[in-house]
Order: sequence, then C-alpha cells, then structure tokens
Amino acid sequence: MDINYLIDITIPILEGARTTILLFLIAIITSIPLGFGLTLLVRSGVKPLVWFGNTFIYVMRGTPLLLQLLFFVFGLPILPVIGEYLVMDRFVAASLAFILNYAAYFAEIFRGGLLAIDKGQYEAAQVLGLSRWHMTTRIILPQMFRVALPSVSNESITLVKDTALLYAVAVPEILHFAQTAVNRDVNLLPFLVAGVIYLLMTLVLTLLFKYFERKFKFE
Amino acid sequence: MAIIEVTNLKKSFGDLDVLKKVSFEVHKNEVVAIIGPSGSGKSTMLRSLIHLEEVTGGTIRVQDEYLVHDGVYADSKQVKSITSRMGMVFQHFNLFPHLTVQRNLELAPKYVKKESAEVLRQKSAALLKKVGLADKADVLPGKLSGGQKQRVAIARALMMSPDILLFDEPTSALDPELTGEVLQVIKQIAEEHMTMLIVTHEMGFARDVADRVIFMDNGEVMESGTPEQIFNQPKMERTRAFLNRERTEIPFEICIKAGEINNINNGQ
Repeated sequence: MDINYLIDITIPILEGARTTILLFLIAIITSIPLGFGLTLLVRSGVKPLVWFGNTFIYVMRGTPLLLQLLFFVFGLPILPVIGEYLVMDRFVAASLAFILNYAAYFAEIFRGGLLAIDKGQYEAAQVLGLSRWHMTTRIILPQMFRVALPSVSNESITLVKDTALLYAVAVPEILHFAQTAVNRDVNLLPFLVAGVIYLLMTLVLTLLFKYFERKFKFE
Repeated sequence: MAIIEVTNLKKSFGDLDVLKKVSFEVHKNEVVAIIGPSGSGKSTMLRSLIHLEEVTGGTIRVQDEYLVHDGVYADSKQVKSITSRMGMVFQHFNLFPHLTVQRNLELAPKYVKKESAEVLRQKSAALLKKVGLADKADVLPGKLSGGQKQRVAIARALMMSPDILLFDEPTSALDPELTGEVLQVIKQIAEEHMTMLIVTHEMGFARDVADRVIFMDNGEVMESGTPEQIFNQPKMERTRAFLNRERTEIPFEICIKAGEINNINNGQ
C-alpha cells in the first residue's frame, strides 16, 4: 500500500469531516436545550402547548430523518406563496432538519428522566420549604440530567453517524469524499479511512460521556 | 397548651374514606406515638398536618393558626408559614442522592432562610455529630446504610429548627438490625422536649418514648392515652386485638442493643 495514496485520499475526507463536525456541534448544542424546552412544554399543563409539543414530537419521531432532510432542503423552497422566502443554503436547511429531529428525541429522553425521579424528592423539597424554583433547579433538574446522561450519550453517537445523511442532499462531508475517491480509483481504502474517522469521533464522545457519568455518579 | 388541634378531619380518595372525623390534640413538648394497623389512615393523617395531603373536611390548627378551617384552607402564604414550622422524616428517607450529606443538610436553610455559609457549616457539623455521622459529611447518600440515611434525614429536618417534628414510619424500611440506631437518635431528640408525632410499628419504642399513644383503626382514632393505659389496659376490643398481633415483635431494648453493637463495630 502506497503511503502517499493514503495521504492523498485522507486530506479531502478530513476536509469533509469539518462539515460533519460542524453539523454535529450545531445540532447537539441547539437541540439539547430545545429538547429540554419541549419537555417543559409537554409538562406545562397548558392544553395548546401540550398538544403542540406532543404533535411535534410525534411527527419528528414518526417520520424518517431522511424524509425531513429532503423536505427542508428541497421541499421548503417549492412551497406555494412562502416558498420563495425559504430558500436557504443547503447546509443551513439540513442543520434545521437535524436540530428539530434531535430536539424531539432529546425531549423524550428528558421526559423519561423526569419520570424516573421519585415523588419523595418533591415531597422532601416541599416539607423543607424550598420554593418551586429552587426545587426545580437544585433537586429535580440535576437528577433528571444525571438519569438522562446514558441516553444522551447514545443519542449523540447516533447523531455523528446520521450526519452521513448529508450525502443525500449533496452537502459534501466525509462520506461524499470517500465515495468520490472509491468511484474514481476503484479502491476500497477510502471507505476504510472514512470508517476510521467515524470511529475516532464516536470514541471521543464515548470517553467524554463515560467521564461525565463517572463524575456525576450518585454513589 | 395545645400546639396542634385536629378536629373532625376527613379525607377521602373517591369513594374510600381514609380519615373519618379524626380529632386529637398535641401539647407543646409532647411526644405522641400513633399506632394502628396498615391502612388505618395514620400516615395520611400525619401527611395532612404538613400539607402533603389535602383533606376533604375538618380543621387543623397549629400554634393557634388555622391551616384548614372546616375544610377551607388558608391562603398559600399562610399554609407555607404554618408548615415551615414543622419538619418531617419519611419512611424512605428521601435524601437528595446527588448531594453530599452536608449539602443535603444545608440546602434548605441556605435558600429558604438565607443563612450564611459559616452558620450553616457550624449547624450541620453539630447536627451530624449529634446523630453520630460527623465523619460522613462529604459522602453521597448512596454510600450510606439505611440507618445512616435515616439519621441524616433526621439531621436535615432539624437544620430548619422546626417547632414540631413528624416521623412517618421512620424505621419501617430498615433492616431489623439497623432500627436501633435510628430509634436511639429519635429518643435522644424526644428527651430534649421536641414536640413530636411518630407513626410507628415499633410497639416497644412507642411504649418507651411516647408521653401519649393514639391508636387508629379504619380512619378513626379509637383510643388515646398514656402508654401504660394503651398497652396494659386498652379499653377497646380492637386495640387489644391489634396489640396481641403485634406482641410477637422484637422488643425495643433488643433493637437498642443491636444498634450499640453496630456503633461499636463502626468504631463509634
């Protein structure tokens, strides 16, 4: 195997990895707070908000991410009347689809985290006279995030791999450059390089979340 | 002087009447044990006093202020002010698992009473020493035994300097060999003349510690009197039947011994 060839194909794939990482960071940083906001909406007890939150989660979880991606990138601009105002950069449109889709999943994860908290925690906070704000921010949310941590870890690893769906809307990323090189050179090596890069990214995330899980352990 | 007056308290869940016209008084500095079979309404009654349950009717007066008057609750500010004078210890401890023992103790006084870090540290250290857990300040509750958890929970309740302390079956979730150390701490607080209501299945303990015993059955107070009266000359047939069933229990003195042995083993 020629080391120069390896370097030649790796450079463009790493170029693509920048897009992958950028999308990952944008999606994770915005969808987690957004998902948490959705959880609050669903638990707000205000009928229209609850309905909106649940419908949104149902639609985003109930349809393929690929469909949502195609809809945001190619569908929005051809909507009647408002379509012409919705022409966006393809990467921006794709990011929106990822953010909304992952927000729905994170909302469900956080909801599960809240359900896992024993009602005795609320009672203890109440009899100690804690205000609603202090009960929520000091007792409930820290435990919710801790309970949700393994699922958040899992979801973020899935997100790394889902970025490959950008391939379908022709935003160049890791897979795009690998596929181009495979076609051009009739050589499987670019696929291997791409695989290794994905593995490295998920490894970093795995280690990071393992660290968080240890750090925030309850016992 | 009555510090708590409960009159005709009623509570129903749907068709089920959990409390039917419960009336009793608790005097200042009195230790009252509430005994009775499971499902007799003891816990519901206790939880009503600190507003963890809303009653359907009746009156609760604490230190001459109405928490609820003929089924009508005071405004939320008043409710908060009244319940803040009471502390509660739960069957399942309900410690905050993500906070160290010390922070469990200091959280509420820090945010509710806005006490300074220095004062908080002194108070928590003193109370941990009192319950025999001075060396556990920096430990998470998950590392503690059930008996230690409950002692932390008692210290946490005391941090708010309550006038009245409520115990809801404080040893029911513990292994038998761990009940002694908790009962000992409760006894120690009782001896300092804290006003206390203790729902318990530990008959030996009730007899030993309580100034007065209330026997509840089927949502009603059947009988109330000194431990001597209730345990030796119960007036009601149902009280007698209940006590006969409970006789097989291990006496409190043996539990205390087990607790001491436990403490020795822990090097305390």
